[in-house]
Order: sequence, then structure tokens, then C-alpha cells
Amino acid sequence: MTAPLSPKQVVLLVARREFVAQVRSRSFVIGLVITLVLFSGLLLLGAYIGVQSDSKTLGLTAQTASLQPVLEQSAKGQAIQLTVRGVDDEAGRQQVDAGDLDALLTGEAGGYELLGLDAVDSRLQALVTAAVQQQTLTAALTRAGIDPAQLAARSQLAVDTLEPADPEAGQKLGLAFVGIILLFFSLSGYGQLVATGVVEEKQSRVVELLLASIKPWQLLAGKIIGLGAVGLLQLVILSVISGAGATAAGLLTVPTAAVGMFVMVVVWYLLGFFLFAALYAAVGSTVSRQEELNSVVAPMIFLLLIPFVLTLNLLPNDPRNGLAAVLSFIPFFSQTVMPARYALGVASLGEVLVAAVLALIAIVVVVRLAGRVYQNSVLRTGARVSLREALSNRS
Amino acid sequence: MLDIGRISKRFGTRQALAEVSFAVRPGEVFGFVGSNGAGKTTTMRIVLGVLAADSGEVRWKGSPIDADLRRRIGYMPEERGLYPKMKVGEQLRYLARLHGLSNAEAAASVEHWAGRLGVAERVGDEVQKLSLGNQQRVQLCAALVHDPEVLVLDEPFSGLDPTAVTVMSSVLRDKAESGVPVIFSSHQLDLVERLCDRIGVIAAGRMVAVGSVEELRERDGSILIDVHGPPAGWAHGLPGVELVAVDGAGRSRVRLAAGVDDQDVLRAALAAGPVHEFRRWRPPLTELYRNVVESGAAAADHAEVPAA
Repeated sequence: MTAPLSPKQVVLLVARREFVAQVRSRSFVIGLVITLVLFSGLLLLGAYIGVQSDSKTLGLTAQTASLQPVLEQSAKGQAIQLTVRGVDDEAGRQQVDAGDLDALLTGEAGGYELLGLDAVDSRLQALVTAAVQQQTLTAALTRAGIDPAQLAARSQLAVDTLEPADPEAGQKLGLAFVGIILLFFSLSGYGQLVATGVVEEKQSRVVELLLASIKPWQLLAGKIIGLGAVGLLQLVILSVISGAGATAAGLLTVPTAAVGMFVMVVVWYLLGFFLFAALYAAVGSTVSRQEELNSVVAPMIFLLLIPFVLTLNLLPNDPRNGLAAVLSFIPFFSQTVMPARYALGVASLGEVLVAAVLALIAIVVVVRLAGRVYQNSVLRTGARVSLREALSNRS
Repeated sequence: MLDIGRISKRFGTRQALAEVSFAVRPGEVFGFVGSNGAGKTTTMRIVLGVLAADSGEVRWKGSPIDADLRRRIGYMPEERGLYPKMKVGEQLRYLARLHGLSNAEAAASVEHWAGRLGVAERVGDEVQKLSLGNQQRVQLCAALVHDPEVLVLDEPFSGLDPTAVTVMSSVLRDKAESGVPVIFSSHQLDLVERLCDRIGVIAAGRMVAVGSVEELRERDGSILIDVHGPPAGWAHGLPGVELVAVDGAGRSRVRLAAGVDDQDVLRAALAAGPVHEFRRWRPPLTELYRNVVESGAAAADHAEVPAA
């Protein structure tokens, strides 16, 4: 009555169980909601901080009121929203104390004083310093009989680029950020789930029953494919929601670039997931209890965190950074760095393909080693299995 | 016939199994007994291929057990294992499908066995919500859902209540009667004696005895007789008769060496006084086991153990 199953059927059966069990679990829905909340919270917070730091209120006394035109002009040049309020010295100090004013400019020519509560915002300070200097300079020039406007015209510096500046650069940076954040969370989250699943089977001892009828690699492959599919589902849901949200809010006006980035994220998620999931499964199989798991997966999280942090720090100011360019080809780093470089328009499709092929080669090697570790460790309970034992050939 | 042929296994410096051999016939319930660490679980794991033997071979119907044959064995591991958060029915259907049943066959089989083992109302519950006894019943379902050709059960009775023991026993008997060789290990020797057609005793990785309880009794050839009536000392001086035990109420137990005629002994007893009772004492498995393991451990180093 029982017909032999092909290995593919076994792997699919296992994968289906993993997928269904995960998608139905409360943690999947909760995880999705939490990620969405965190995500929109992060975006809102970013927007709020942006607005906050760019809008300043400065109090001017009667003696410093003459600086107002210069201040407003340079504020416009530096994209700071400056509100100027005329106050007398006494009221101004009270308003700084109450937080109504970011700072008060008081004193008089030759003895200006910029008064803040416990610190003065550095940009505001720079703005006022420049305005005071310019005021002084203009006065001195006029006294010396030089026309300030003429001087300005002669000292003008034109800025130009060989390639036309990309008007969508800001959005592309945003896309790259959202993309690598999604990638990071998906890879670390679902990689961790693979390790937890392996330990769960080991801890509950169900693995012995399973391995009495199917082979270790089939169980491992099914688990990785099933959980990888759940991760992919979550990635798609989050991408669609954030894409739709950003479009609705008017933040996203470059649908082609967004779709391109989405495809990149999916491809690199798959490449990164197989690489990391195999590693997570291997280390998971060396321990017997969930409590021991954290210590062995910590190095993996670092491995994922390094390119993530590097990308967030290096690329916004310097998309052509040399270190990032090198890392974008190295497996274990490429899944984060390369899609970001691609989104910023500094990596060609050809480079992406090269990095993808390198990642595929790494997957083949890592999956083999991880499979061996898994096979050698998964039935051994009790003390943690050392890596040397796990990699040795005998089972 | 399930043939376990001279399997050996070494863990580090410890010889866990040394040329263990025995056979289980179709339709037979085979009890596997031995103290903790004697090698029962290791043997069963090797039969299931969960562990590889260093040498020796397990054969079923004459051919070595491969992955495809293994799939047709029903297994209950010593370490019970089921997905704690998966529902009973789903879990059993999943396991049945891994053994090659179609969806419909799996559903029908799960329904049948859950009913038979009395967990039909719990199929919609998560395994972790079941009592240990019920989890055990589900575990047995898991070993049975794919209608296995061979049953290998590691301590299926541990932790069961008397009702469950009865159900479990009758299931094992039924399976055996349908032609399936059933092998199970247990420390409950009275149960083993009642249920098993044949018994294998393993000590320190070696089989020290294999056979029916009756065969084990006759192994050393001596006969034990309980006598009630004649005064103490009646057997004193009788050739080939050894007094094993005596109480103050006229009861004694004697061991007759091989070849001693029990009628001669009866006449001697009658000569000493009235005999109210004179009958063969059949030691229970517990006692046989103790003798076999004690003498077996001593003899194991040089004796080749007869295996059926």
C-alpha cells in the first residue's frame, strides 16, 4: 500500500509542512505586524527628525535685528527653515529657557552673543557666525569703497558634473535603504528560524522518527526551502505594502527603479538565504537545546550585521566607496552590499551577475559542508558537538 | 524473517554491541530484555538505520534492509518524539505521507488508528496539550499509520496506565497475527512473559539467551520441585537433590540434577511423611532473567551464544 517516494516528493512534503506550520503560527502574523509597525515608525521618525532639525527659531533683539535679511538669505541657501522673532533681551532669555526659541542673538556689533539653553545647534551656530562675518565684511568693504556685489561676482564658483546629476538620487538612496533593511531582517529572521526548527526537532526527538524514514539531506532541504518560502512571502508582503504606502504618500515617484530594486531584493534574498540558512542549520544541529542556540548563532548575526552597517554608513555619502565595491563581490557580504550599490546606480547589471555567480558557488560549497555537519550532528544529543567532529567523514 | 546478523557497534572505547544475532519470525512477538545500557536501543536504532553498525547486517526476507525497506518498518523510538506544536491528526497524516501513503490513505489510516488507540477525540489538539500517556498512544499510532511490515518498538509500555497497556498489548498481538514480526523492548518482565512468543536477553552488548520462556527454563536442564508436607530434612542425603529453600510450615523447594527421576524423589518424600503437594515449579521470567544475566555476564567472554 505504500509506494516509494522520490526524493523530490519527500523534500516537497517536508517543505510544505514547514511552510504551513510557519504561516499558520501566531508568530508569523505577529512578526509581520511588528515589522510593519517598526518600519513605518522608522520612516515617520526619520521624516520627523528631518523636519525638526531643519526648522529653527531664532530671537533677535533690537540691536541685532539688522542681521535679519542676511540671516534669512543664508538660511535659504542652506535649506534651513529659519523663523526670526523680534524680542527684547529679557523676554528672549525667558523664551530660550522655556524652549520657545532655539537661540537668542543679542549684544551688538563687536560683541554679539548667541544664547542657547544648554547647547546651541551647530548648524544654527554656523549660520549666525556666517551672517555676522558677512555683515562685518560687507560693512568693511563698503567703507573701503569696494562694491560687495562686484566682489561676489568675481569670486563666483560654478559647480558642474560630467554626467547630469540624478534628480532621483534621493529616492534611489531611500530604495536602497529600504531594500537592505528588508534583506537584513528577512535573512537574519528566517535564518534564525531554520536554526530554531532544527533544534526543535532535535530537542523534541522527533528527528529520530523522521530519519527512520527519510534521509537527513531531504529533511534539511525541505526545511530550508519551506522556511525560505515563508521568508519570501513575508518579503513580498512587506515590499508591496511599503511600496504602495510610499507611492500613496507621494514619497515614491520612480516605479521602474522600485520594481528593479524589488527584483534585486528577491534575487539577493534567495542567494543570501540559502547561504545563511545552511549555516544556521549546521550550527543549530550541533546543540541539543534552544537555550544553547543563542551562543552558536551569534557569529552569524555578526556576519550579517557587518555588511549591513557598512552599507548604511558608507554608501550614502560615498556610493563609489572602494571597500564597498570589493565587498559587493564577496559571498556573505554581497547579498547586502551589491543590491545597495545597484540601487544607487553605481553597479552595472554585469557586476551584479558576477557577484551572483560567486554567491552561487559559495552556496554549493557551504551547503555541502553544512549538510555534512548536520548529518553528523543531528542525532547526537547531550553535549555540544564540536565542529571538528561534525565535519569528520564518519557518521 | 527479520534477521539480525552478528551486528557490532563501538562508541569510542566502549563496545556497545558484540556480534548480536537473533531472528524474529513473521507473526511473532519478540521481547527484547536487558538492563539499562545493555544494547537494546542501539540494536533497534541499527535495525532502523538511524545508526550504522560497524559490522554485521540486518536482513528482512533475505535481503539487506535499505532505505526503501526501512520505510516499511514501524518504529517507536525510546526517546519519544513528535512536533509539540503540531496537531495530532496533521502530524500523523504527515508521517504517513512521508512513508509513502497518498493523502486519502493517510487520512483513513490515521482515523482508524486514532480510534483503535483511543485518541480519536484528540486529533485536533496540539500534541503538547496531551497527557504523557496519550502522547504515547499517538506515538504508537505514528508507528502504525503506514501499515508497516515490521514493527520495532523501544519500550512501548513505559509510562502507560493499565487500560493503555491492555490496548497496546492487543494491538501488538493483532499485528503479529496478521503476519508482522513485532519486536519490542521492555523492563516489565511479567508483561513480556505474557505477551511474547520468544524472548531475547541481552547483557553488556551480547545476546545471552534467545528462546521462548519454556526454552529458557529448560536451558540449564535442572528441575525445581515444590513439596508441602514432609518434615524438614526429608531430602537430606538424596543423591542429585539439592535443597533450594525451606520454610517452617513444611514447605520446601528442591533442585533435581539432570537425570534424577522425580518418582524416586516423591517416594523419598512419602517415606519421610505425608505429602500434600508435590509439583514442578516454573520460575517466572523475572527469575530466569536474573539467572541468565548473572551467569551470562560471567560466561559472555568465552561462550558463543545460541541464537535461534
